[in-house]
Amino acid sequence: MQQIADGASVAGILVIVALGLSIIFGVMKVINMAHGELIMIGAYTTYVVYTLNDLPFYVGMLAAFVVAAIVGFLMETLVIKRLYGRPLETLLATWGISIILQQVIRMIFGPDGKTVISPLADKLEIGQIVIPHFRLFIILFAIGLLIATTFILFKTKFGTQFRTVAQNREMSECLGINTSRIDTYTFAFGAGLAGVAGAVLAPLKTVSPTMGLSYLVDAFMTVVLGGVGSLAGTALGSGVIGETSQLLTTISGETGAKILVFLLIILVIRFKPEGLFRMERR
Amino acid sequence: MQTKRLGIEGSIGGLILVFLAAFPFLASDFRVELMGKFIVFIIFALALDLVWGYTGLLSLGHAVFFGLGGYMLALSYVLQQGVPTFMTRFGINEIPVFLKPLLSTPVAFLLGMLLPALLAAIIGFFIFRSSVSGVYFSIITLALAQLFELLVINLQAYTGGFNGLMGLPRFPVFGEPLELTTYYYLVLIVAVGVYLLTRWLTGSHFGKTVKAVRENENRIRFFSYNPASYKIFIFTISGFLSGLAGMLYVPINGFISPQDIGIGMSTLLVVWLAIGGRGTLMGAVIGALILNWLSDLLSEQYPEIWQLLIGSIIVLIVLFLPDGIYGSLLKWWNGRVLSKQQNQGTVPQMGNLEAGS
Repeated sequence: MQQIADGASVAGILVIVALGLSIIFGVMKVINMAHGELIMIGAYTTYVVYTLNDLPFYVGMLAAFVVAAIVGFLMETLVIKRLYGRPLETLLATWGISIILQQVIRMIFGPDGKTVISPLADKLEIGQIVIPHFRLFIILFAIGLLIATTFILFKTKFGTQFRTVAQNREMSECLGINTSRIDTYTFAFGAGLAGVAGAVLAPLKTVSPTMGLSYLVDAFMTVVLGGVGSLAGTALGSGVIGETSQLLTTISGETGAKILVFLLIILVIRFKPEGLFRMERR
Repeated sequence: MQTKRLGIEGSIGGLILVFLAAFPFLASDFRVELMGKFIVFIIFALALDLVWGYTGLLSLGHAVFFGLGGYMLALSYVLQQGVPTFMTRFGINEIPVFLKPLLSTPVAFLLGMLLPALLAAIIGFFIFRSSVSGVYFSIITLALAQLFELLVINLQAYTGGFNGLMGLPRFPVFGEPLELTTYYYLVLIVAVGVYLLTRWLTGSHFGKTVKAVRENENRIRFFSYNPASYKIFIFTISGFLSGLAGMLYVPINGFISPQDIGIGMSTLLVVWLAIGGRGTLMGAVIGALILNWLSDLLSEQYPEIWQLLIGSIIVLIVLFLPDGIYGSLLKWWNGRVLSKQQNQGTVPQMGNLEAGS
């Protein structure tokens, strides 16, 4: 039971980390290698707002969203827009950007890790199971984020246009949708989600310039397993990876679990190349 | 047209070869050792060029094959000196049975090429058979690199963990380690051999089919070729050559550590190729040489500027020179030849020119 509870919080982290990536990947077919760095920027923003300036934690989260979204907006308009339709080139360019972002942060804050103290220090105990409040918050926050994103994608004008572009870009252009503007908004939105992820993760791990890389790989694995551009897929992918890796960790250790999960993912895409959930395309 | 192109490639290649061959006479031992390392990186870059440049599959985990080869040879050297301290620290006082084969250098050498090739074949089989798009391939290989680095660090009792394997001799074929210059020339000869091999492979019927797979996979399928087996084959060859590069790296570097086999190294390799120009072979040579030389020049004195610089170079090259240095040079040269022929009224058919570029 403890394992399942821990697995749920790992899954929650994965949802938060992978959501922005999945949205950007789904609509723009852009592999954003700087996703991890956007998470890192969100974490540093929280560090500045919450730890250094003693403002409430949710202000830090908001600030993280805004700062990361602005960085994402700049990235899209300055670089990615010019590389549309060349996924491998975009991958390289965003990787170059990730190196620049890492170095800029390192020059501002220094190479050492920073600590952000958890805003919720208590633990919840139900019989044998112990869940720190902050982990519970992560699980609830992940669910809330999924609901909010679903609402945005299905109930707003931006969401409708977003889904139209994701399904058929040429046709939506014919219908007079400014796809280039949707791309920019999508990227900024996805980047903002990465920033929020950074804010939420900051109290769990050390905040350092190189913290993004491991999250990047985790997020990609989640998106690949769940299926590109599908919110349900992201949720399911996170659930499967979170629970499996947590259960396997008790059996075969952390590295063993990572290897087994990786093999599982390779097996899944061998037989279901589009992931567990396939988005309809017209 | 074909001869003209070989002309520019031949002259640049010749210049580089003369420079590399004369280098030990001009520079200190320290510099020769560095240059030897760069030549190893050329071999490594050529291996990736087969996969990325010619097949259009961007592997972000090629250092895994490099590292697998390197670790085989390094482990063999270490074991030959007796049970290493990192093993005894974990209570292993005898060499485990599954490592016994590595006691023989030739066996280790063979394994160092065959294991990476086998790993590449297995990964290729799983990925390419299931019509997964190129982007997924990049992600999977990226994850593989991270995983492999983690694995080597964690299997401390067998790999030396985070510190890696140190104190490795320079290729003691007949008991005595080779002289630095001798080893340098050995590496250079292998590099020239690998270059010729890849040149032959990409110029052959096989290489042309592979290029066609890159350009339009479906059309190739309609011609009753099976693109998957071509991709698996070329990925396997690339793994093999990367393993070879990894093994040549160990004696000249003197040690190997998890940093040489993970995401960092894999992505660096991609940058060399992107900047040199992919799909040309010579671009791999130029990229590996220039980037490593620059990195050596700048990274030690100005590590901060170097990081910013390399990030900006990547972005700028992708935006403004998508063919890389050599690719752009080649395009410019071909354009010049074309306009000259137009003036003389001997315009070649477009088809010929495309085939040449």
